[in-house]
Amino acid sequence: MSIFPYLAAAWLFLIGLYGVVTSRDYVYLIGCLTVIQSATYVLLLAVGYKLGAGAPIFADHPPGTPAVDPVVQALVLTDIVVGAAVTALLLSLALQLQKHRGTIDPDELKPTQD
Amino acid sequence: MTLVIAGLLAILSITGLGVVLTRDPRRQTLAMAANGLVLSALFLALQAPDVAFSEIVIGSAALPLFFFVALSSLRADREHK
Amino acid sequence: MSRHIRSVAFVVMALILVPFIVAGLSGLPAFGNYPGPYGDIINAIGTPVRHITNMVTGVNYDFRGLDTLGEEFILFASVTGIVMLLRGARGEAKSADALRIEHRRREGRSEAVMGAGRLLAPITLLYGIYVVLHAQITPGGGFQGGVIVFGAVLLAYLGEGYSVWRHVAHSTVLDLTEALGAGIYVIGGLIPMFFGARYLQNILPLGETKTITSGGLIPIINFGVGLAVAAGFLSIALELLEETRATGGDGS
Repeated sequence: MSIFPYLAAAWLFLIGLYGVVTSRDYVYLIGCLTVIQSATYVLLLAVGYKLGAGAPIFADHPPGTPAVDPVVQALVLTDIVVGAAVTALLLSLALQLQKHRGTIDPDELKPTQD
Repeated sequence: MTLVIAGLLAILSITGLGVVLTRDPRRQTLAMAANGLVLSALFLALQAPDVAFSEIVIGSAALPLFFFVALSSLRADREHK
Repeated sequence: MSRHIRSVAFVVMALILVPFIVAGLSGLPAFGNYPGPYGDIINAIGTPVRHITNMVTGVNYDFRGLDTLGEEFILFASVTGIVMLLRGARGEAKSADALRIEHRRREGRSEAVMGAGRLLAPITLLYGIYVVLHAQITPGGGFQGGVIVFGAVLLAYLGEGYSVWRHVAHSTVLDLTEALGAGIYVIGGLIPMFFGARYLQNILPLGETKTITSGGLIPIINFGVGLAVAAGFLSIALELLEETRATGGDGS
């Protein structure tokens, strides 16, 4: 079962997508987007992992010891912070939508007919 | 694959499902905070302390704050109408 | 199409897709056997070539510094978008004052929360600054330390209340700090070009390993990112909090 982490990432992606497809509220949809994002983080970090290795920080042991991949960690950590800012942007778009159209139900927000 | 990582992945699958199955946005925010906590424990088990730093603060402080404040404005706007 | 048809169609499509997903995922290297050479090379050359001990920071600000510049500007653009959407609807003229709503129903604030906020805010702030400054030695960096500083100022909001907190998190100061942080990154990359090297190439004196000034250009860029992330997230929180006071009371 050495593809279990990848399957967990695929499971998170699929149920997050299910939540997006069947949402009744835009804020709920934004919450499901964060689940989809966490699926990608798990996949990236699982690709870079080495069994029995330590963190790629060599402050207290010499640089020859086995360590996991630092490149995927750099990708994921900037992604988490920037993803939170983009989520806040989506929330403020939902706020503007409520102010102008009066509802945040995706089924009631058909394009305006005029 | 160690037991800790397998256990944390199983718990993460369940909390992720919990976020999606919670339809009320305010309760979903708390489910997201729990998901963030399990995620940061998983990152620590995968030997990624920098990533765990970011995820703890964002998942349990920044994102729940943004969501609760946005929901409070939405409710005030709905009541005002 | 109605919601019921949508969810049924999704489940059918997901079931058709699952064998392809599993086939694709089993082509990845088995979990725990990372094969690729790039990560091992960076782990081996980080300390002799750049005198740093945190390889993740080295990848972020030195080996792949241009990608982090792009990420930094995604953050900058998101914050600009939020400020334009929310502050623009209220008007820019009085953006530095907290909105006051007359006769607003107020619940009392718990004294335990106020005490905890006041106690924990300075400690967390100090910890956040420590994490930012020790980026290339121990786990830390501009992104992580910036959000910890943001958490510390939020604890101050819990301790003090909104109108007092607005004097600390002044919107003009936050705008300037964020621009300063992003500017330090861009202009810090131009410094090597004055000496004939490429943009963002690390040619400053490298210093001793395990000190704060090791790594050449890395501490400068890292400090800029820390400023920009903390100020950016505080601007977002400020705009969202201000928005809760704008609806209702004054008819906007």
